[in-house]
Amino acid sequence: MIELPVLSAEESRKRKPSWLRVKLPTGPEYANVRRLVDTHKLHTICESGNCPNMGECWGAGTATFMILGNICTRSCTFCAVATGRPTEYDEDEPRRVAEAIRLMKVKHAVITSVNRDELKDRGAAVWYNTVVLTKKESPETTIETLIPDTKGNWEALYRMIDGGQEVVSHNMETVERMYRRVRPQAKYERSLEQLKRIREAGKRTKSGIMLGVGETQEEVFKAMDDLVSNGLLILTLGQYLQPTKMHLEVAEFIHPDTFAMYKEEGLKRGLRYVESGPLVRSSYHAERHVNVPIN
Amino acid sequence: MHIPEGLKYTKDHEWVKIEGQKATIGITDFAQGELGDIVYIDITTVGQDVNEHEVFGSVEAVKTVSDLFMPVSGKVLEVNKALDASPEKVNSDPYGDGWMIKMELKDASDAAKLLTPAQYKELIGK
Repeated sequence: MIELPVLSAEESRKRKPSWLRVKLPTGPEYANVRRLVDTHKLHTICESGNCPNMGECWGAGTATFMILGNICTRSCTFCAVATGRPTEYDEDEPRRVAEAIRLMKVKHAVITSVNRDELKDRGAAVWYNTVVLTKKESPETTIETLIPDTKGNWEALYRMIDGGQEVVSHNMETVERMYRRVRPQAKYERSLEQLKRIREAGKRTKSGIMLGVGETQEEVFKAMDDLVSNGLLILTLGQYLQPTKMHLEVAEFIHPDTFAMYKEEGLKRGLRYVESGPLVRSSYHAERHVNVPIN
Repeated sequence: MHIPEGLKYTKDHEWVKIEGQKATIGITDFAQGELGDIVYIDITTVGQDVNEHEVFGSVEAVKTVSDLFMPVSGKVLEVNKALDASPEKVNSDPYGDGWMIKMELKDASDAAKLLTPAQYKELIGK
């Protein structure tokens, strides 16, 4: 019989490994972003998602804006954004986002949103106007839009991606088997189809998967293959981190070497660009993805 | 955002309460808010001399781990043992029961280099 080591309550609580150390936000650039976000009454996923990289990004003068309010109609177990019946629908929001991006002199802007399943157009009009106005205010700025799934409303999807953005992301978030646990109101196949349609519409496609929620390596490879065959160009892989004690627990801390292996494997399987590392998030190094050729 | 008068601050979001040659140190209300639910405080430098800006410990929140930096050079005298069992005190009472270490300053005049409440407020954009 094998004797198993007895883990103390503390050890079993999974102390975080050294590679997940971050710095808290500080400095004049941070203060500037903070003021712009506050005075323009904007939401950011950096704050709503309790992002570990906020210190680094805000300190460098960049942020990811979250439009269509800060209440989401989905209740994904990994996500810190509040679930509920959204109360905000603000037709002036696109203008304020565009103005903040101009004032921040952002070279590459990343914009995301909550799900608005209760809206007929899923929020596509606000999405479209935000991209168009940002381009108008800052013609040199490139844009990535990280969009929710439109629940199969393809008309809404095409409107969302038609504003002239350079990159369109839609995150798979996890492997197929984990969808019920992680994204209960989403469907793996539907998200794949959405990516396929985005690519067919001539857009640069990008997606992201969080690792450490309980998936196996084989399942990650399978997801990569599915993404390649549905026209995905760019993939980000990062460590899932529990945003609060109320959220899905981390199943495993993936070693940086394993992230490096995934990157190689992804490229071998036909992805054009893979960003892979413990603290990689969707918008990490996002400015580099603009140059990935579409064809 | 609570930034009490009468304390000194650092750009790394620590507060410092100076009493003669000694000081009590903790993290600010802003820092605990950014970190989220704090689950563990790791300080193993008691009895050691630690230089200004060097790491004297780390604070682990549900989502991330962040280093704790010495605001001024000196010796770490004592760590707040109560935080072992109740790390959440750093969230609920960052300037009171959530204090982290007591230290002895190597040079009391170093305190002049620390930030005033107004300077710290400016730094965090509030």
